[in-house]
Amino acid sequence: MSHLSNPLATAEQLFKSANNPLPIELLDSIRFYTARLTQAAGILLCLPQDITAQANVLLFRYWLVDDVMRHEFSDLSAAVVYLTAKISASPRSLRSITNVYAYLLSESSALSGTPVPEPDPQSYYLSEGTYVTRRNKLLHIEGQILNALGFNTHVALPHPLAITYLQTMDVFISPRTGKAVAKRAIEYLNAALLSPQMLYLTHQPASLATAAIYLAARDKGVKLPDCEWWEVSDVREVVNKQEGISNGDGEKEDEEAEMSRMLDEKVVD
Amino acid sequence: MSTKQKSRWADDEEDAVLEAQRKKEKEEKKRAKAEKQRRADEAAALRAAELQGEAAAVADSSNNNTELSSRPAKRRRISPEIEGVKVELPPAKLLRFPSPEWKKCRSVEDYEKLNDIEEGAYGWVSRAKDSRTGNVVALKRLKMDNANDGIPVTGLREIQTLMDCEHPNIVALQEVVVGEDTSKIENIFLVLDFLEHDLKTLLEDMSEPFLTSEIKTLLHQLTSGVSYLHQNWILHRDLKTSNLLLNNRGVLKIADFGMARYFGDPPPKMTQLVVTLWYRAPELLLGAERYGTPVDMWSIGCIFGELLTKEPLLQGKNEVDELSKIFELCGIPTEETWPGFKRLPNARSLRLPQNPVSQGSVLRAKFPFLTKAGSQLLIDLLALNPGKRPSAQEVLEHAFFREEPRMKSAEMFPTFPSKAGQEKRRRRGTPNAPMRGNVPEIKATDFSGIFAGREDEEKGGGFSLKLI
Repeated sequence: MSHLSNPLATAEQLFKSANNPLPIELLDSIRFYTARLTQAAGILLCLPQDITAQANVLLFRYWLVDDVMRHEFSDLSAAVVYLTAKISASPRSLRSITNVYAYLLSESSALSGTPVPEPDPQSYYLSEGTYVTRRNKLLHIEGQILNALGFNTHVALPHPLAITYLQTMDVFISPRTGKAVAKRAIEYLNAALLSPQMLYLTHQPASLATAAIYLAARDKGVKLPDCEWWEVSDVREVVNKQEGISNGDGEKEDEEAEMSRMLDEKVVD
Repeated sequence: MSTKQKSRWADDEEDAVLEAQRKKEKEEKKRAKAEKQRRADEAAALRAAELQGEAAAVADSSNNNTELSSRPAKRRRISPEIEGVKVELPPAKLLRFPSPEWKKCRSVEDYEKLNDIEEGAYGWVSRAKDSRTGNVVALKRLKMDNANDGIPVTGLREIQTLMDCEHPNIVALQEVVVGEDTSKIENIFLVLDFLEHDLKTLLEDMSEPFLTSEIKTLLHQLTSGVSYLHQNWILHRDLKTSNLLLNNRGVLKIADFGMARYFGDPPPKMTQLVVTLWYRAPELLLGAERYGTPVDMWSIGCIFGELLTKEPLLQGKNEVDELSKIFELCGIPTEETWPGFKRLPNARSLRLPQNPVSQGSVLRAKFPFLTKAGSQLLIDLLALNPGKRPSAQEVLEHAFFREEPRMKSAEMFPTFPSKAGQEKRRRRGTPNAPMRGNVPEIKATDFSGIFAGREDEEKGGGFSLKLI
């Protein structure tokens, strides 16, 4: 069961984080840009996507316990990547992680805007002294993250579920469209990781996978079974535009998924 | 005497008929009553369902005006309905996911220390009381290594795997608490179930080994715990008697997940430096990088042997000695019994006798009092070829557990004075689990000496050793 389910945010936690004195737009930007930074670091560190995804989920979970302004965002992102990779099958050294973040935060970074500037190695050189300082900072934050999460680092991801659901619905009978739908569904799921709506904290993987398939099939014009196929994946269908963040018991929230699509486009750009 | 006679006189045929009739009437009344109750229940359920349906329909109608409030409960659909062919299905039973939360660690100050239990290679354990609830728990402190890589990964893995486990034969991790000063997370404590004994200390202090029925109880519980772990893709990798806890109600729990990790199919590359030497499977000793659940099954075999004799089965002094003790007990592998073993990294320096026909397993001879099923189980668990070892599930269904003497029920298990609860325990030299770090190079472990001593003994006996 633990492979399919996640701990979910409590109403109190969500309420507290929404009541932050910072403007909501700023909070949203912080969440989005930090998650994007984590994603970029994951790519540069050649981490498997599931580890990067888990790191982002843990990052958002942390922010529901400790104040957003408590640590520098980039340090927090680096620490959570280090922690997630460490307990996985593909750990990364602190040296590699600090190097990657030094690059991503420099002016030469591909994230700094378009057009991508000529790389200037001077701007992201990490001296031994700076490295030691950064490393100690990361290790300190690692402890803080674990403390805030009660040492619960378990994250179940919807990605493999989405593929399994597509397989059971025989979508791969036509390899070309099957692949396209699967790809789009995974894109939705990855984009939702960056969403400041924190979908991964309020919905179980089964709901996320189902919503992603629904949207992906609609995008690609692929016909899914006429019956209530989502019931097989234990998802109740409720389209409820009025409700914002839901009570998190496995509902399909079109609005939120739409949101993630918008974000998806933003990332692709 | 008189009463007997009296009853005999009274119980004539007429009486019997009357009695039967009365009984019949009574039964009929009972049936009628039950029927009435059942109908009432059904009606109540129907009413409740109707009410619910109406409520749902009302709720629906606020969103969707086409729905009539008088219609019975029905799932709303979004996808366009195909007229006519639609078959009404009962509402689906959806799986409810448990959704625990996450919150900040509590402080260790919430617990009151009672006494130390032991200090292992991996951290120390003490008995403590939750000051709020009064529950007695075991507090295990994570050892922080001084290396600059933060909180040790072994500790994090232990926490991760234990948190995901929920089984009567696996020690439960209630929570993780930290030291009072949270500006630096250095003191980390696992709050675990407290159990009175560990099997190792218990065996050391017993004058006679466990009875067969008791061994079955213990082995069955151990195997069901391991079966749960394997089903959840967790390898324990350090099963041994000192990691098996027993409470005074006869329940065994597997503890110490410091070496545990998740695995996959196909198995990922993992370090061979796992499992305490005396319980380490031959494929690990031979340096296999890809291994799986059979390494835990081997350890179960070693524990089975230990329960029978009270003495650890294979007490090697080092890797080479351990392997030679294994071959002495279980025979020498051949290309037929264990295909491909010669390609394992450390097998290259292994010198094996050329005709190992006479070198079969001596397990049956070593345990003459074991039944046929029992010794077969032991031999299967201690199969050199990991592929031949039974799975945990297969062991649970083994004939050994079905034959006499049956398993003693946990409630009937004898109790013992608890060392952990009262006094400092005596320690005996068991080798510790291997420390994390660099795996010694293959060449560094020299297996050439295994049969060196025998060469002299066997001189002239038609027994030759060959360098492979």
